[in-house]
Formats: sequence, C-alpha cells, structure tokens
Amino acid sequence: MAAATAAQPRSSKTESYVDNKRKEDIRQANIKAARAVADAVRTSLGPKGMDKMISTANGEVIITNDGATILNKMEVLQPAAKMLVDLSKSQDAAAGDGTTTVVVIAGALLKQCLLLLTNGIHPTVISDSLHKASTKAVDVLTAMAVPLELSDRESLIKSASTSLNSKVVSQYSTLLAPLAVDSVLSVVDPAKPDMVDLRDIKIVKKLGGTVDDTELVKGLVFDKKASHAAGGPTRMENAKIAVIQFQISPPKTDIEQSIVVSDYTQMDRILKEERNYILGMIKKIKTTGCNVLLIQKSILRDAVTDLSLHYLAKAKIMVIKDVERDDIEFITKTLNCLPIANIEHFRAEKLGHAALVEEVSLGDGKIVKVTGIKDMGRTTTVLIRGSNQLVIDEAERSLHDALCVVRCLVSKRFLIAGGGAPEIELSRQLGAWSKVLHGMEGYCVRSFAEALEVVPYTLAENAGLNPIAIVTELRNRHAQGEINAGINVRKGQITNILEENVVQPLLVSTSAITLATECVRMILKIDDIVNVR
Amino acid sequence: MAIEKILKDDASEEKGERARMASFVGAIAITDLVKTTLGPKGMDKILQSTGRGHGVTVTNDGATILKSLHIDNPAAKVLIDISKVQDDEVGDGTTSVVVLAGELLREAEKLVAAKIHPMTIISGYRMAAECARNALSQRVVDNKENAEKFKSDLMKIARTTLSSKILSQDKEHFAQLAVDAVMRLKGSTNLEAIQIIKKPGGSLMDSFLDEGFILDKKIGLGQPKRIENAKILVANTAMDTDKVKIYGARVRVDSMSKVAEIEGAEKEKMREKVQKIIAHGINCFVNRQLIYNFPEELFADAGVLAIEHADFDGIERLALVTGGEIASTFDNPESVKIGHCKLIEEIMIGEDKSIHFSGVEMGQACTIVLRGASHHVLDEAERSLHDALCVLSQTVNDTRVLLGGGWPEMVMAKEVDELARKTPGKKSHAIEAFSRALVAIPTIIADNAGLDSADLVAQLRAAHHKEGCNAGIDVISGSVGDMAELGISESFKVKQAVLLSATEAAEMILRVDEIITCAPRQREDRM
Repeated sequence: MAAATAAQPRSSKTESYVDNKRKEDIRQANIKAARAVADAVRTSLGPKGMDKMISTANGEVIITNDGATILNKMEVLQPAAKMLVDLSKSQDAAAGDGTTTVVVIAGALLKQCLLLLTNGIHPTVISDSLHKASTKAVDVLTAMAVPLELSDRESLIKSASTSLNSKVVSQYSTLLAPLAVDSVLSVVDPAKPDMVDLRDIKIVKKLGGTVDDTELVKGLVFDKKASHAAGGPTRMENAKIAVIQFQISPPKTDIEQSIVVSDYTQMDRILKEERNYILGMIKKIKTTGCNVLLIQKSILRDAVTDLSLHYLAKAKIMVIKDVERDDIEFITKTLNCLPIANIEHFRAEKLGHAALVEEVSLGDGKIVKVTGIKDMGRTTTVLIRGSNQLVIDEAERSLHDALCVVRCLVSKRFLIAGGGAPEIELSRQLGAWSKVLHGMEGYCVRSFAEALEVVPYTLAENAGLNPIAIVTELRNRHAQGEINAGINVRKGQITNILEENVVQPLLVSTSAITLATECVRMILKIDDIVNVR
Repeated sequence: MAIEKILKDDASEEKGERARMASFVGAIAITDLVKTTLGPKGMDKILQSTGRGHGVTVTNDGATILKSLHIDNPAAKVLIDISKVQDDEVGDGTTSVVVLAGELLREAEKLVAAKIHPMTIISGYRMAAECARNALSQRVVDNKENAEKFKSDLMKIARTTLSSKILSQDKEHFAQLAVDAVMRLKGSTNLEAIQIIKKPGGSLMDSFLDEGFILDKKIGLGQPKRIENAKILVANTAMDTDKVKIYGARVRVDSMSKVAEIEGAEKEKMREKVQKIIAHGINCFVNRQLIYNFPEELFADAGVLAIEHADFDGIERLALVTGGEIASTFDNPESVKIGHCKLIEEIMIGEDKSIHFSGVEMGQACTIVLRGASHHVLDEAERSLHDALCVLSQTVNDTRVLLGGGWPEMVMAKEVDELARKTPGKKSHAIEAFSRALVAIPTIIADNAGLDSADLVAQLRAAHHKEGCNAGIDVISGSVGDMAELGISESFKVKQAVLLSATEAAEMILRVDEIITCAPRQREDRM
C-alpha cells in the first residue's frame, strides 16, 4: 500500500477512512451474510457441479442446479443476503443463464472488499474503483469475443449445450440443445431481428416417457384431452378451428333471475326450450364449417354442459374446453385466427385452419396436438416428457436457460469461450492494468482481478481437481498468450476451450460482471440498518 | 398539601430543564442518524421493514429514511416534519435541513447550559438567519438572460445533486436526462408530466428519455397495433352489463326463452355502450376498468384500439398529456373532450411490451425509462432522479444559483461572525453559535469522506477571509478547491429553504419548556 500511495502523496490523507465500531459491525455482518448465500450455491457451479434438494414449506421437493431457483426458495431474511437473491433474479431476467456465476463472483468480490476495508480504504473509493474495473472488464471481454452469424447453427447449438451440460439433464444435451436453437430461431421476427420474446415459445410438460421423448411441435399442444363426454370426434383432418369466448350452455343473466315453474307441462316446455336454444347455437357454428372448438374457461357459468357436448358430438365437432384466458393470445397468434366472443359474430373468416387436430395418448394422459397450421404465427411449442415430476421441472428450467442463452446470442451476436477462460484472462489483464493506476484505485482493481479467479477455482474444485494447481497452470498458459485456454472438466486438464466447443454468449459474462459489481457496490455503501415500520 | 391527580392515568408531564433536555437529545439523535448520508461520500442505509414481508429499501435520501422511522420523541418528530416539508417544497436538501437544525440545537444546548435564556438565543438566531440570507442573496449568480449559460448552470446543479446518490457514476448521463426533461416543461413545476417507468434489467446507463407517454399495458386482441393521428377517449367505466345496483333485485320469468331474451338484452346494452363510445369518432379507447371479451371483440371489429385495466395514475396522466378528459358517460359526444396524439404503437422495453403514445397534445410531457440491476437500484434511482427533477424545476423558476461544496455555509458563517462582533449583549453568543452550526455542515461532509475535517475547515475559513473567494471542499481530491472551476452548483432556493426551515424548527423546539404526553389509547391486539 505504501508503494501505491507514493505515486500520489496527497491521496494518503484523503482516501483513508476511520470507521466507528457500529458501522464496521454492520458492514461486516452484511458482507458475511451475503457471502454465506454465495457459499450455499458455490458447489453447483459448472458441469460437475452438484444439485441441491430443497424441501419447501408445503412439503414439496425440488431438485435443481439452477442458482436462481435455489436462492429463490431459500427464504433469506438478512437484508444484504436478500440483495444477493435479487441479484441472481436480475441475472435471470437479463441473460437467463449464469445465475450461479453472478452470485459466486459477488461473493468473491465481497471477500476482497472486506480485506480492503480492514486496510482502512474508504468504501466509496472501493466502490468507484470496482465500477471502473468492471467497465474495463466488459471492454476486455468484448475484445475477446468471437462474432457469430445466426445462420451458424452449429455454434448456437454449442453454446446451448454448454449451458445444458451443467444441469441434471446434461446427458440429453444433444437433444435439447438443437431443440432450443430451433425453437428460438423459429420465433425470430424478420422485422425485428434482434428481439426474441420467449413468451412465443410455449413449454408443455407431460409426465411419462423419458426426457428423450421431448419434442418440438410445429403447432399447438394442449395439455388436456378432447371432450369425450358424448363420444365426440378425437381426430379431425382439415380442421377449421374456432376460439370462442362465449358459452354453449343455457342462458344466464347478470341480474339474478329465477324461473317460476307452476306445473308439469311448463317444466317440459322449459326443457325443450333449453334444448332448442343450444341446438340453435350449434347449428350456427356448424354452418360456418367449423369442426374444432376451443372454449375459454368461464367462471360465471359452465362453458359447456353435457347436453351441448352431446349435440356438438352429433354435429361432429371436436371440443377442447377450459382454455385459460391468458393462453388465448398465444393460441390466436399461432392459429392466425380471431377469438369470437359472441355467437352472433361467428363467421367463417375468424376461423383458423390446420391440417390435423388429433388427440394423442401419452403415458397415462392424453394431449391434443394441432399440426399443419395454415399461415402459422411465429410461435412454437415444446413438449417436455420425463419419468417424474422432478425431472420434468428441472428439464423445463434447464431448457429455459438454454433458450435464454440462444436469445442472448440473437440480441448480441458474440460468443466467448467458457470453462473459466474469460475470467482468468480478465484477471490477468486487469492485474496488469492495476499496475498502471495510481493510488488506492490500483490496489482495489488488483483485488477485483484476484476475485475473478474464483470462477475457475470453483470449477476445478467442483470437478474434483486440484484447484490451486489448475488455476496457476491456467495463469501460466494465459500469460503465454493462449487466451482461450480453459478448464476441460471432462478430461480434467487445461486445453483450448474454444476447440472443445465450450462456448457461451458474451452477454451472459458481461452481465454477470456488471450486475455483480453493481450489487457489491450497493452493499459496500451501506453503513446502517434501520428498523422501520 | 399534595394534589392527587391532575392528569389521566399513564399520561405524563415533563417540565423545564428535563423537557428541554428530552427535546435536545431526541433531535440530536435524529441528526446523528442521518448525518452520515450527507455529501458525495455519504453512506447508504438499509431500511428493514418490521411489517409483513420484511421489505428492504436501500437509500441515501434523508426524507425517505426519516419518513419511515419509528419515533416516539416529539422533538424528533418536528425534525422529520421539516424534512418532509423540504421534500415537498424543493425536493432536495432533506438531509441538510435536518443536520443544520440539529447542529443549531446542539449549540443551543451549550448556551442554555451557560444560563442564557432560550428567548435570547432565539432572537440571536433570528438575526443571524436574516443576516445569513442576505449574505447569500448578495452572492448569487443569475444567468436568466443567457440561455446557454443557464443551461450549463442547470447541468451543474443536476450533477451536484446526483453526485451524492446512487446515480453518481452515471451522473453525466442522468444530469442530461433530468435537464432535458425539465427544459421540456418550459417553466411549469408540474412534475406530473414527467413519467418515470422502472424496468428491471440492463444497467443504469441504458436508461433513456422518451418524448410522449408510455403505458405499461397490452393492446386488446385482434386490434390495430399502430395508429396514426389517434383520437383517444380516456374513460373510467364498467364495460360489463349495467347491473341494477339494488341488493336483491331479481327478475322472475316463466320460460327459458325469456332468460335468453334477458341475456340478449344485456348483450345489447353492452353493444349499445360500445357503439356510443365508438360514435365519439375515436380510434383509441383507454379504460381504467376491465373490458370484457365481448366489447373487446366489438372494438376490434370497429378497428378501435382498446386498452383495458389501465391504473388510476396511468389514466390521469394520459388524460393530462393528451389533453383529454376522463369520461364515464357517453351520451353526449360533443361534451366529452377527446385527447389526441400523433402516433400510438407497441414498443419493447427490455422483455416487456408497452404502448407508446408519441406526439401528444401537451408537448411538455415525457417519459423517463429507468433500467437497472434490481428493484433496490431502481427504487433508489427513481428517488434520486426525482430529487434532481424537483431541484431543476424549482431552479427554472428561481434562476438564482450558488456554488456548492460547503461554499454557501462558509459565506454565511463569515457574515454571521461579523454580525456577532457588532452586536452588543448576550445575543452575540447566540449569533456566534449560529455561525458554528453553519460550519458544521462542511465539517460533516469532510468527515464522511474520511478527510481531516478540522484541518480542511480551517483552510476553508482562511480562504474565505479574502473577498470574492470561491473556495469549497473538493471531496474527490480531498482539499480546498475552487467550486466555480469544478462546476459544483446549488440552487439558491434550496439553500434558502434549508436555512429558514432549519432555523424555524430549532426555534420551535427551543421554545418548549414542557412536554405533556397523553395517555395512549388502549389497544387490545398489542403484543
């Protein structure tokens, strides 16, 4: 430190910091709590990372490797620890992957900060230097990155597999990675080529089979069976599909009403009227040529009754009921049709067309598939299968991460090596840069550089390798100019990681570093916890 | 002869010395709590809610901290109130005002201990405050005439305000944002027209200013996603059937077809309402309440863009910026004022879709979209930006500008010191004390930055002994610097409000010689 201050003699007076006991205690407590959170997820980093089993308060069990999910379920109370949980959520929102990495980096940064604080450096100085270091880090990463074309399907698949390799479902990465790539590419709108709305990709989970049976469906999948009540059709070719938001059941008014029945003949008449009423509606539907009905769930009254189902079956109309209102937008977009809210507006031009609507038995349940849709909107559906609910849920989370990875690549078309290579390279370059800086800043940047080594260190540790040997070896290789040398966890040695096809989107790495730094800076600046209403 | 009981059970009374002591202690405790947040190197606080959910807020804003404290000391409450008033009036300086009032009281405590009557102290403080204000108003810079210079003044003020907040790293960017937004207002202080939207994700640098208005809602199904020259009707009306709102009203019918008829009539009513709305000649309809499937389809058929379930705040602003009125009946199309804008379209912010109204009637309106790592960051960024906007809009009206960095306090202290020397009698002690309280502010700023405050303040005082000096504390280099060169400015209005309200609050607390605590109301559910 003496050497650092010598360059700028005045700074010794300005940047030192005397803390009083209470503030120091609070800061220490915050940092310790945040590090405890980081330590909890540390072991799940990397392809050989372990999973965590979480049993929630309501007795549910979740097994996952996804940092965001683990932290989300941890129910931490300490405010600083909570900030780390939020940090992982932000990373999830920004990049979708790297949720564990971001927390691990934040933990390592905090550890270094504690050291700096005990040396008496003012927290705002640390905070400012961290900011500078992170901006520099992003520059370094961007310089390392390899540009990518969206047409390069191979590279996209590679990066999706890197993300999937660290998950429970890693053995299926050869299946899931192309699937993720295809589904994202199919929803990219040519008008806005760098925007992907993941809501256009619907994930349907169905128990039974294995993850191997997971498939991409060009069309729609409903996780419910067609209505069988009256032996209606379950397969329809050349389907004309209507999405209706009204009900085919006896009328019901908003005003409370009651029908007064005074004798037997009247009762008969009422029954007949009801029948005619429904028949009238179904005839109207039939005249438009519609043969598949998707009926929105209704809370006010039954969407369909046994009677109407019976008539619909007679009219050879396939019925899928209880479609959620939230799904309507997705469905209408996919089918390229309009929802119909009133029987009066039931016209042929509002229908959607598909080559085949069919009910398929899967395991113990049934699903309805709509394929061969005419003028299909830019949406896609993925049907996930698995032998038990835990596997399915984890597969969904992993697929979500993989989708996010591909999305990142679509919005920022750069790839970067994985396997700890970028972190070591950053550490090296920032370390060199810190020697040029004056005063406390240089000291803080050096700590930042050291903190980044935590990623390769943890990767090696989780893979059962000797972390110190690996990290020093890595440093050595990077110093010799092999900027893509990284840990090859499978072989347990250091290789050129780009050649091993371990790649990840640039956005994941840059956002991990900037978000972690921002969070650490916020924790550093806190000197008191006040209880309020 | 003892009087048995004057006050109710549990009510207590504290008199004279003890009462004054209690006020001093309370006020000083509050001051000590917030004083570490003062200045560019001030620290943040975590506010941990003891309510449900244990929500966490991280903030540097004095008003926010004080507002949420549990306080049982009457004098401390007075201080919290002045900070609130400061927040409402000028928006910034909420910490400074409390710190100054606290320091005034700290000085007063010493004087009271030296057997000077509180009234003497008060009159001394008053004279000092008057003198300090005059000193300030003589040294103001007013660039009202020169638009170019005035804008740079605004930028300086924005930067100074933001530098003590979370936005300090990106202060250049945000100062520009705030100045642009305020310049659009053209002198009005109606901050309603500036909408702030927070979207998690991205970094703070991704925040941007957008002309027009952004509504965080979705466009109904099957409706146009882009409308040019939109005529907008803003409404707050129920779009389901007009129910008879008498409890227990019911109709009796004797056949199913009658029920169908009633249902048909209900539908017809909805259709009529929609047609009435469409008859206003609009192509965009925004409702605060839900629009159900049926009317939504009718709107879609008519090619009208319908937005349902906009929040209260949203429609009020929308009505304001588009120049429309919120309607709830649609019988007289001519009496309803319809809003206009050039273009409505759907845009993506981060991952979410929003509806963007551009080219709105009220040209001042604009939207600032904040992006940031987490909700904590965004909330704090919003508070900081709000402070900056308040100060700027006040400065546009009162264009007088001062230097910052402890410069105004030193200028005032010097004048007040001189007044003390001229004033005969015990009052001069009070005036001197006032000057010491003023100097406390630069001292605290220096302390927070980890600097040697005693040394710096002494240097500063010496520098100010020369006429027309611009010296203040340069926290970054840790020395006395020229504030005009460093571009650190503050609004005169803020400083004046700090000075006057702090003096008033201190005076109010000093006058107290008895505290009567009323018996708390009994509550059973107390733990």
